[in-house]
Amino acid sequence: MPDTTLLIAGAWISAGLTIFLFSFLYKDNPFFKIAEHLYLGAGMGWWFQVYLFDVLKPKVWLPLMNHDWLVIIPALLGLSLITQFIPKISWVSRYGFTFLMGYGSGLAIPAGLATDFINQIGGTIQPFANLTGMSAFTFFNSVLMAVGVICVLVYFFFSLEHTGVIKKASNVGIYFLMIYFGAAFGNTVMARFSLLYGRFDKLYAFSSRENFYATQIILIGMVIYFILHGFFAGKKTASGEEAA
Amino acid sequence: MKLIKKYIPLAIVFVFGILTLLTYYVPHKHSVNFLEAMNKWENIVSAFAFFLGLISLFYSHYAKISRKADGWGYSIFVYIGFLAIAVPAYVSHGKNMNGSSLTWLGWAFQYIYNPLSATMFAVLAFYIVSTAYKSFRIKSLQAFVLFVAAMVLILGNVPLGQMIWEKLFGWTSCAISDIVDWILHVPAVAGKRGIMIGIAIGAVVTALKIIFGIERQYLGKD
Repeated sequence: MPDTTLLIAGAWISAGLTIFLFSFLYKDNPFFKIAEHLYLGAGMGWWFQVYLFDVLKPKVWLPLMNHDWLVIIPALLGLSLITQFIPKISWVSRYGFTFLMGYGSGLAIPAGLATDFINQIGGTIQPFANLTGMSAFTFFNSVLMAVGVICVLVYFFFSLEHTGVIKKASNVGIYFLMIYFGAAFGNTVMARFSLLYGRFDKLYAFSSRENFYATQIILIGMVIYFILHGFFAGKKTASGEEAA
Repeated sequence: MKLIKKYIPLAIVFVFGILTLLTYYVPHKHSVNFLEAMNKWENIVSAFAFFLGLISLFYSHYAKISRKADGWGYSIFVYIGFLAIAVPAYVSHGKNMNGSSLTWLGWAFQYIYNPLSATMFAVLAFYIVSTAYKSFRIKSLQAFVLFVAAMVLILGNVPLGQMIWEKLFGWTSCAISDIVDWILHVPAVAGKRGIMIGIAIGAVVTALKIIFGIERQYLGKD
């Protein structure tokens, strides 16, 4: 579909929205607020079309057209949620919510037990099943991990008073938790920065002659706005002080 | 009235909860079919739950505009943003690509939604770092361990960190990527496993409380 004009228009819109959002790093301004509200609306628009074309059309509309009447039940349960807006009959929405809670709870038990409980314990114990074929370093790692898991669990075990050996074990558990939090923090920072590099890369691409220097022109426009805004805001404050 | 307002909803939770739980452990064709059907039903009800949120958002911004509240003009952009995606989606029948070329929806995603979403999260990079700088006070050995783990992970993933490591510890013949791997796969996993086991126990207990009607705050007030 998109021809060159649309691609250039896309470059200008994309560069503009990116710079508007980055402008918040300097200070709050109307351009950032516009982009922020657009993001909220666009995000809702995106999920709206996902639910419409990937859920409601294939799972409700098409089955109904084929006389599969069973889908009326979940559709009615879903529609019951909308009664939240009518205070007198808002209790009807409980039917939809209770279905979601019941199904979700029923699914959470086996999923939680299998992936987060049994698999994690299994992963900690399993390396010891192969003690003879283990190098000294792998053995050390396995022991360290097992000790770490036990100590972290002791830290979260509040039924016993944390004194003596329990206190020592829970203190060791804190160090393992700190390493995990540090690693999680480092990973988050790196993920955000990789997004940042991606945006800078796009801004560089939009600054080309083919895109009519979109990045530079929008950036200069923003700088002029901030200079003028600062100048007039300063003038306003000075005249206010004089009047006072 | 109490029957339809309270007891039938609680019965729905119990019946669907128990059936879903049991069918997960019953390796039979009917239980697989039941789980598939329930998954489909859940998708449908969740879609309506999304519409509940959408209507609520639109209503709150409409109220802001009609009351001419502070910053009401920005609320108009919520509707513009929504239409900027919803209209192309309608025209393109929810498809991003048509063969090898972008559809209108694909264009809107690539040039409107994606830059907004990626930049919003990229901006957080600055705030994470500045907040960390302000709040990281290495007052104890535990805080120092957290700081070291974070720094090793960050520096180990960038060329500058690798260069510094080579200069200082190159003689050890141990690359910084090996240290990062070791942190991620041994001590960090130990900490994460402890947390995950705790979360699993909490989730199972909460789910059982919901199924048996002990936890019923989600029902709201009578």
